[in-house]
Amino acid sequence: MGHQWGMVIDLDRCTGCEACVVACHAENNIATVGDKQAAGGRAKHWIRVERYYEGDFPDVKVKFMPVLCQQCDAAPCEPVCPTFASYHTDEGLNGQIYNRCIGTRYCANACPYNVRFFNFYNPAWDKPLDLQLNPDVSVREVGVMEKCTFCLQRIKAAEIEAAAEKRDVKDGEIQPACVQSCPTNAMVFGDLSDPHSRASRMAASSRGNKLMEELGTRPKITYLQRESWNGDENA
Amino acid sequence: MPPVEKNRMQRRDFLKISAITGASAALDACGSPDHQLIRFIPEEDLIPGVATWKPSVCTVCPAGCGLLVRVMEGDAEVVRNGQLGLMQMGLAKKLEGNPAHPINQGKLCPRGQAGLQVTYHPDRIRTPLMRSGARGSGEFKAISWDEAMKRLMAQLSSLHSGNSHGRLVFLTSSLRGQRKNIAVTFTGAFKNSQYVEFAFFDERVVRTANAASFRHDAPPTVDLSQANYIISFGANFLGTWNSPVAQSLGYGQMRQGRPGTRGKFVQFEPRISQTGANADEWFACAPGAEGLLALGIAHVLIADKLRPASSAGAAGELVEGWSGGLAEYAPEKIEAQTGVKAETITRIAHEAAAHAPAVALIGDAAAAHTNSLFNTVATNALNALLGSAGKPGGIQFGSVWNSGSGKSGVQESSGAAAVQALAAQLESDPSSVGALLIYGANPVFATPAAWRVRQSLEKAPLIASFGSFIDETSILADLILPDHSSLESWIEDTPDSGSVRTVVSVAPPAMLPLHDTRPMPDVLLDLAHELGGNLATALPWKTYDDAIQADFAALYKEKGSKDAKAADDFWSNAQQQGGWWGPEEPAAANEPGGKSTAVPVKYAPAQFDGNPGEFPFYFMPFPSQMLYDGSLAGLPWMQEAPDPMSTAMWGTWVELNPSTANKLGIKQADLVEITSQHGTLRAPTMITPGIAPDVIAMPIGQGHESFTRYASNRGANPISILAPISVAGTGALAWAATRVKISRVGEGSVILFGASLREESPDLKHR
Repeated sequence: MGHQWGMVIDLDRCTGCEACVVACHAENNIATVGDKQAAGGRAKHWIRVERYYEGDFPDVKVKFMPVLCQQCDAAPCEPVCPTFASYHTDEGLNGQIYNRCIGTRYCANACPYNVRFFNFYNPAWDKPLDLQLNPDVSVREVGVMEKCTFCLQRIKAAEIEAAAEKRDVKDGEIQPACVQSCPTNAMVFGDLSDPHSRASRMAASSRGNKLMEELGTRPKITYLQRESWNGDENA
Repeated sequence: MPPVEKNRMQRRDFLKISAITGASAALDACGSPDHQLIRFIPEEDLIPGVATWKPSVCTVCPAGCGLLVRVMEGDAEVVRNGQLGLMQMGLAKKLEGNPAHPINQGKLCPRGQAGLQVTYHPDRIRTPLMRSGARGSGEFKAISWDEAMKRLMAQLSSLHSGNSHGRLVFLTSSLRGQRKNIAVTFTGAFKNSQYVEFAFFDERVVRTANAASFRHDAPPTVDLSQANYIISFGANFLGTWNSPVAQSLGYGQMRQGRPGTRGKFVQFEPRISQTGANADEWFACAPGAEGLLALGIAHVLIADKLRPASSAGAAGELVEGWSGGLAEYAPEKIEAQTGVKAETITRIAHEAAAHAPAVALIGDAAAAHTNSLFNTVATNALNALLGSAGKPGGIQFGSVWNSGSGKSGVQESSGAAAVQALAAQLESDPSSVGALLIYGANPVFATPAAWRVRQSLEKAPLIASFGSFIDETSILADLILPDHSSLESWIEDTPDSGSVRTVVSVAPPAMLPLHDTRPMPDVLLDLAHELGGNLATALPWKTYDDAIQADFAALYKEKGSKDAKAADDFWSNAQQQGGWWGPEEPAAANEPGGKSTAVPVKYAPAQFDGNPGEFPFYFMPFPSQMLYDGSLAGLPWMQEAPDPMSTAMWGTWVELNPSTANKLGIKQADLVEITSQHGTLRAPTMITPGIAPDVIAMPIGQGHESFTRYASNRGANPISILAPISVAGTGALAWAATRVKISRVGEGSVILFGASLREESPDLKHR
């Protein structure tokens, strides 16, 4: 079997700082939409940090959870696409072929994780902000659905380099932008088909679970639950 | 041969026509007359599509993280010698943390990521400007550098020669390294001159307290990676406080990096911060009572014989009543004032004692009450008692490299009080200031309106700014001599926290400049050489990079290096890896047996401006995760990044407790008016359980009147209504010491990412 890319996110390390959110914008040429469009729910964040409040003052608890495309093995977004723009790559990613997309938005409706974003307008950058654009990533035009790719451009670059050097991609060699930036090392990316990869080993943690797994989506992101302090641990 | 001739002509015509049509097709496509621009000679050694990585230094906050800049070939419109043209050049595409840098070790926060947009900002000042309308009107006309320098020289030379009355004042943000040395030395060469540093979050209270407790005038370097217990009083150390990336790295390690050991984290603050949200236990404590809590915990440690009082050494002696065991701070006695139960205080003291190393932190609002010097000194004493001062798993201090001799003889002052004094001086005698130079600081935005900084600056005879943007302060300038962006400049930095190693970051420009700008230190050096005399001798370097190289020669002489045989190697190695870092040797937190010369501090209740009857709520501004102190509000990535605690974007809000809202008949997203004794502002509400019922909180950062197309006239500025009172004994603004009242004005709206408070705007269209 080829690579099966996956991710582990340790919620006990995540502090909700959102370095991942901005890193993703910078890496993937995600356009800002401005206040009016954002007010209408059209802001695009391929990764977001959800926060959950529990309890009333003063017994308040807050939990953070970064949510991005879960790269499901049984992805609800894929079979609904009439043009096969949403498809499953042989490395297990939920791919999106922008040139095939005709903007039915069926995939966004089908996705239970709310991680697909539609371009209601052509993206625009006030000059010279366009110079910040990453030449490795295509800019999506109006009428096209876009989503997290696990930084496919970085995966491909590493695979090409490894192939040129006649070796396999090393564990940890590929870091999507969110993983690279994360100040607490809460995110780990790796090959789930390799049982020895750091991601595979961490995914087996007893703290691990998957987001809305009961829907049968078979996500490839494992969340390690936040722990509570147990003073005896240190004894 | 006529047919051939004819043929040639035809081909040439054909080429001409196709060039024109091709160009106009391109024009249609991108809406820009690129084809009219001349092309400059391209930068060499660029391979299209292949990225190179260049070190740099992040300048968006004082943490001083190291960067690696991804540079790729591209076409940019640039100005060279006043001529606009197209240039194929290396362009910064992405900022990553520099893995070799001891502070951030390859990581970067959201603000650092967005630093890229400063360079490419559409509203950056592209050329020197001269005021053409009334002061503050925002009307400027472009002038040449020759003209700008001539105008500034005229004023400076008459000041320098003593022909004209008045002093030179240089007002800057917190600077370090040779950049600061050049600015200070330049200023010092003028008679009666004054160098003033101002930044809203300058950690002045923490610095003053650390100087008294530990003889280190610096924020602490916090080693969370080995801590087993963290007690934080209001410090947003995972968000914006001190060195957040270094602290986040340690925090991740503290939580899950040591198999079998997971540290505990307890936070005390009246409004839950992004950092507090990660605590194992979060306690609302009364504003200004943090010092009481620290000493309450210390009392339990001493009384229950968990730690001897004497073990705190000089840091303990600074607290009045320390050797007596702090009986007046017994948990039962401070319960009512702090709002934290006595048994909780006792339990936390016992837990901390049992789980060494335990560390206590204080910052942000807890260090911005009138009594915060006491709060901070008390926290320092607690650290010393816990055995965490200067120890792994505690707070440490690195030795900091001081660029230059530091013997400029200039009157140097920093902090809010210095700006207040400057404003008062300008107000009473404007002509006493012959010229005011401003770099990096925006005091008109970041000081209480009650200080009348804007009105006083308006009276200054000459203001010259080195700013990259027209903001509330630079809009008052007569001359603007725009600086390069940090990615376009040589850069050197000597951060004083974040790593116990001595860090001297350095990097050559990561890319060529886009606009007709010049680095501020180079402008000062040029001026110095032209003015001559003592200035030319004090500032012998031709350029800023010469000055940095000289600093590295001095550094090499003092510190040497194992891996470089000569100073030249040392210098080139440093440029390659983004700086030089010393060995891992923290400086002693205090000399053994050393007695502090500072006077012992005593508890005094925090004072709040406004009487509780009329102004029933404590007003707590807090640093914005994305906009920091407001200086990043101009970046679209920062405006559209959701606030971590609320997911709010593109605006501001005030937070209040549901019971308070209920009592006042205020609903979610209502527009309310917040009034202090010093001003009024309006903002929509965000009702949240994470705030005490007697507190109203508001993020700092929005409310700019003039600061780029993205930030101007958006939201309100909480700093503007603050009371003009300071933290006793420090000269810092007590920005958490204002009381306010609140009333409903009508319906408002908050833009959120996600579903909960989404406001569908009715006229939304799509193509």
